[in-house]
Amino acid sequence: MNHEEQLIRYAANQLNETERAEFERHLAECADCQTDLRLWKSIADEIHASNSAVPAPIHLADSALEQIHAPSKLIRAFNSATALLRMQLLLMHNELWIGSAALMFIFLAMAFLVARVEVLHFFVPMIAAGTVTLIYGAEHDPAAELTFATPISPWKILLARLTLVSAYNVFLALCATVGLLLILPPQTLGELILGWLAPMTFLSALALLLSLWIGTSNALFISYTLWAVQYLALTSVGEWIAFPTPWLESYRRFWHEPALLFIFGFALILFALWSTGREQVQWRRSVAI
Amino acid sequence: MPTAELALPWKSQETQATMTQPAEDLNLIRRMQAGDDDAVRDLYALYGQRLYAYALRLTNDPATAEDVTQNTLVTAWRTARTFRAEGRLIAWLLGIVHHTALKAIRNNPNYLDDVAEEIISEDQPSPEEQAQVRDERRWVRQGMQSLSPEHRAVLELVFYQELSLNEAAQVLKVPVGTVKSRLSYARTHLRGVLTRTEEQ
Repeated sequence: MNHEEQLIRYAANQLNETERAEFERHLAECADCQTDLRLWKSIADEIHASNSAVPAPIHLADSALEQIHAPSKLIRAFNSATALLRMQLLLMHNELWIGSAALMFIFLAMAFLVARVEVLHFFVPMIAAGTVTLIYGAEHDPAAELTFATPISPWKILLARLTLVSAYNVFLALCATVGLLLILPPQTLGELILGWLAPMTFLSALALLLSLWIGTSNALFISYTLWAVQYLALTSVGEWIAFPTPWLESYRRFWHEPALLFIFGFALILFALWSTGREQVQWRRSVAI
Repeated sequence: MPTAELALPWKSQETQATMTQPAEDLNLIRRMQAGDDDAVRDLYALYGQRLYAYALRLTNDPATAEDVTQNTLVTAWRTARTFRAEGRLIAWLLGIVHHTALKAIRNNPNYLDDVAEEIISEDQPSPEEQAQVRDERRWVRQGMQSLSPEHRAVLELVFYQELSLNEAAQVLKVPVGTVKSRLSYARTHLRGVLTRTEEQ
């Protein structure tokens, strides 16, 4: 061990008795080590003085325990998501829930009367599309001012409302489908659900996006027309207005491709969520005017 | 040189009192592993000053040092099961402080330079003061502030935290040779500062 290292350990009081005594004998004769010792002592003095001048805050242990016992990020995110859903549930029109349930009941009854599952397949996506056009924007939101002034991002508000309405629509449609099992064999349940789930997703997404861009009435007219055209293609009306039959056939097939409908539907939802920023800007402009 | 002159006055009684036996450390760790909240409070009462001092030495910023110390306690709680009783508890804790502080510095790379510059400029004595005061410790302090966090860390670990060079190397996650070379550099740097002071 060289003298430099021994000197540091000596200055830091890390030598044992034997080493210490031995080094002190060297120190008494070495001017360089004495100079360096003076330096190390100054450094040690300064470190001790500065450390004792700044006492550690007394609250840090309790703050650390608070942090330790705080809910995890996942739980915090879940809590804030449920709080957002609860808040949006209170802000949305009550008529929306009652209206769609009533319509669903009427069309279920109709399906029973004519004993045709197609009634549900036709009307369930239309009910869903109709309701989603009513969930966002100054036109429908009784608390639009509050909604736009809140620090929560508009897309989160729209997503929360879309989740609530979609979950409710799916629930109603499921109840109606299960009800249909009274007149249909139980093994057809999966097929029945698939019959409306994918078209409902796409049509709702389309209607939502259009409602954000061109208003509810226009959105309903366009989306319902696009939905109904596929049924026209199966009738003689299609031939009567001389639509190219292959085009109509492709169009009809599109509405029976669940994978495509889901992909396009989710893409449209993403676009709609992005569009909420534009809606908010428009509202701010109108307030400014 | 007479022994009396070699007494080490900076080794305060307070520091001596905070030295704990390994059995106490192990007990603290076991209590943390068992989820005893009071173990965190006891740990802080025992080592809080040293952890905070080291965090402050590295970050040069009291608010950041508080965050670092608090996060160190949280990390110690969460990783208590990984503590191996091969080394001292304080060395393990200081290792966590070091890692956490460097992360804080990396996340906010600008503030350290700003703070260091601020302190140096604050410490610049006026011409009157220069003429009147040749305070060695003042220049040591300024010299230390002008060292990098790595060099300040080594000085702190050896002269305040009373770690051996090997323990300091473990805390810093560098070879012992690097610890020695950093000490050597710090000495040369500070000697230069003192020499310039004496010449003024």
